[in-house]
Amino acid sequence: MAIAVFFVAAAMAIVGGVGVISFRQPIRSVLSLVVVMIALSVLFLLLSAQFVFVVQIIVYAGAVMVLFLFVIALLGPARESGRGRLRFQAGLSGLFVLAFFGLVYAMMQGVQFRQPEKTDLSVFGTVQSIAVGLFTSYLYPFELTSILLLVAAIGAVYLSRRDER
Amino acid sequence: MSYSVLALLILLLPAAGAILLAGRGWRLPRIVTQIVGPGVVWAAFVVTVVLFFNQVNGDFTYWTWIKSGSFEVPFNLLIDNLSLFMCLVITGVGGLIVTYSVGYMAHEDGPSYARFFTYMDVFIFSMLLLVLAGNFVFLIVGWALVGLSSYFLIGFWYERRSAVLAARKAFVMNVVGDVGMILGAFVVFVQFHSLTFAGVFRGLVHGCAPTLSCIFGPVPDSGMIELAAFLLLVGAVAKSAQLPLHTWLPDAMEGPTPVSALIHAATMVTAGVYLVGRMHPIYDVAVYAHGAVAIVGAVTALFAATIAIVQTDIKRVLAYSTMSQIGYMFLAVGIGAYSAGFFHLLSHAFFKALLFMAAGNVIHAMHDEQDMRKYGGLWGQLRPTSIMFLIGALSLVGAIPFVGFFSKEGILGAAFSRPGNLGLTVWGIGFVTALITGLYTGRMWWMSFAGKPSAQRPVEHPHEAPPVMLIPVAVLAVLATVGGLIQTRALGIGPSLVSDYLDRVVTGQSWEESSFAVYIGLVTMLVAGLLFLAAYRMRPLTARFPWAQRVLEHKYYFDELYNAVFVRTLDRAADVGFRDVETPIIDGSLAGAGTRTTWAASYASLLQTGYVRNYTLVFVAGAVIVAVLLLARFAS
Amino acid sequence: MGKLDIGGSQLDTSWFLLLGAILFTLGTVGVLVRRNPLIILISIELMLNAVNLTLIAFSRQLENIEGQLFALMTMTVAAAEAVVGLAILVDIFRVRDLEDIDDLSELKG
Repeated sequence: MAIAVFFVAAAMAIVGGVGVISFRQPIRSVLSLVVVMIALSVLFLLLSAQFVFVVQIIVYAGAVMVLFLFVIALLGPARESGRGRLRFQAGLSGLFVLAFFGLVYAMMQGVQFRQPEKTDLSVFGTVQSIAVGLFTSYLYPFELTSILLLVAAIGAVYLSRRDER
Repeated sequence: MSYSVLALLILLLPAAGAILLAGRGWRLPRIVTQIVGPGVVWAAFVVTVVLFFNQVNGDFTYWTWIKSGSFEVPFNLLIDNLSLFMCLVITGVGGLIVTYSVGYMAHEDGPSYARFFTYMDVFIFSMLLLVLAGNFVFLIVGWALVGLSSYFLIGFWYERRSAVLAARKAFVMNVVGDVGMILGAFVVFVQFHSLTFAGVFRGLVHGCAPTLSCIFGPVPDSGMIELAAFLLLVGAVAKSAQLPLHTWLPDAMEGPTPVSALIHAATMVTAGVYLVGRMHPIYDVAVYAHGAVAIVGAVTALFAATIAIVQTDIKRVLAYSTMSQIGYMFLAVGIGAYSAGFFHLLSHAFFKALLFMAAGNVIHAMHDEQDMRKYGGLWGQLRPTSIMFLIGALSLVGAIPFVGFFSKEGILGAAFSRPGNLGLTVWGIGFVTALITGLYTGRMWWMSFAGKPSAQRPVEHPHEAPPVMLIPVAVLAVLATVGGLIQTRALGIGPSLVSDYLDRVVTGQSWEESSFAVYIGLVTMLVAGLLFLAAYRMRPLTARFPWAQRVLEHKYYFDELYNAVFVRTLDRAADVGFRDVETPIIDGSLAGAGTRTTWAASYASLLQTGYVRNYTLVFVAGAVIVAVLLLARFAS
Repeated sequence: MGKLDIGGSQLDTSWFLLLGAILFTLGTVGVLVRRNPLIILISIELMLNAVNLTLIAFSRQLENIEGQLFALMTMTVAAAEAVVGLAILVDIFRVRDLEDIDDLSELKG
């Protein structure tokens, strides 16, 4: 049963991924990405990451993608036209990307997984365990991340200001 | 006040004067310079006299300058009869000359005036340091500073090209001597592992102390000592303008006359004589070098005297005369007659300074004209100066009762009586030189002071010098007249204060004064005197042999020789260096570094295409490379 | 050891990793080949998601919560980066109509 769920979600993710990079219109691209995100969140749930699953849907698919949609609405439908100026870009990109994928695949062949530490899987990935981690051992990165968000917000506000003329 | 403090005061007073005049002299009223300049020298003289009458003797160390393991260089002053003797000459005669120059340099404007006395005080300080130093290091420091002061003072009127060139020439030749001195000090240090005079001389007498490890064994190697003595002689020869490092002295007459009097007659040029005297323990052992001192002195004496015959500039005659008389001093210390040599140093200081300053009065009266052919008949118009000049001239010739007789005949008598061939040889040369001295001195006298005024006279009715310029000259005239009375050994009878005083410190081998020497001395004086008088009528012999005249006028072509051998060669080497080494290689590599970097950068900038996608492609390519490396690392 | 016991069935960790690699590669291609700046940004988000998947997969395999924490942080950073990137893009669009990112080549040379 779990295997079937996995393969369905994986297929959705791959189709969505191909869609992201293939569509001419940005709005279709964004919607494909939303599909990918939902597929991934299912996979997260499969991997006992309940909290991340929820956060992925609410924050990532729900907020960040909506942001993208708003920007597209603001900027209007832009279409790529013509061949582009860099003639070798596509060819070289394909080459490197294939090489990269090949290498990653090769690396994966030799992977020897470590013996897992013994944890109670019933509380693994729950809100409590995440909270314990975030607020005790990883408090410092947590606080820094919140400052990062603050900085990003200020930056965004500033950058999108209209100069008073 | 303790004696060590007084000894240091001798040095500090002129130094303080120099610093004050250098810093503030040109802003303060002229009277300050006029008092401070000579004043500090007189103050040093007073201190010296105090030390002299108290018969102070000591090696005073003030602080340790360098201390590194067993190597130690202290700042110490050696006060003994020799150094006090020299200090008396330097501060006494120096004081008179600096006082004189208050009047002579009166035409200079404020800053220049102060500058002159600054330099004079610096010189006095340096010379005192030289004679008071108790170790080789500070001796060399004083030696070098004296050369530097000479450079400043010769080139005092620096707008004059000839003065600047003369100063440079003097300095370069002095430096050649300095190198010899320093190398000599190195050899001494290697031998004795000490740089203080006390340490070195003790090592010479007793052999090296058992606690020191002498490189060449327990007894000093006499070959190395000879080498050291020769190297030190190089220094002495350069400083005292003896052959072959003599060409700078005539040119040095470009400086103001008081400078010529002080530095190039009474003190700096006598530093070489002092050196040989101070180093007499070394020279007593190094017999070849010691003999070389005498030969150099004798030959220079004769050489310089012959050139003096054809000079037309009054200061040049006196310059060559100085060279000749110092040759006598070298002769004396070279054969071991140290006190005779130093007595001549003292007497020469008296009469040569006298002659220079009297000549200065004449030059001053003649509105800076120095060519004797344009003088004539000054006896009638400048009577006091003429009298004093005459006293100096007769002293130079060596006539009784002036001091020159006693000192010169003292040397010649010692040479004559000395057992061995060296003494007799140098006596012969000295005798001939004395005769020629009579000749050129007479010529100088008659040409300038006697006869009718020359048609080319610049001033019809010259007036005498002011008192500030006359009195020091008069004092020296008196000293030249009565000075002989302190050492009348040349006459075989009477006091010999100088020998008694100095023999306590500088003892060489001594020998009996032959009684015949007294008569020889008197004969010398007579013949020289006759030549002096004869010069009135006699045209110089050389006029009959034009080639001889030319050789003498060109000073035996030494300047031309040095120019061709040294100057030309160095010039050409410098040209090659500049054209073929400096410009292409050194400049080229520096400029080339710049151009090559720019060239490389122009290629590197091709990477900056400006396209974002190109950059991201590079990212990915980098990631691929890292992946390859990781794979390679983990696969092996 | 890579075997995961999920809901009774045996899954392998390497399947998740492979999926992550594929998605990442797709994202890279998008960044390199597409010329619309918006699509480039979106492709970057795809890459980030792929990385998150890998993190979570390892977190489950090692039974260590740190992987999930890291994924949360990554998500946060990705959000911040998207915000700022879009703000810059909006700024550029105000001045000129940008369709092709190759038009932004003033830093050439």
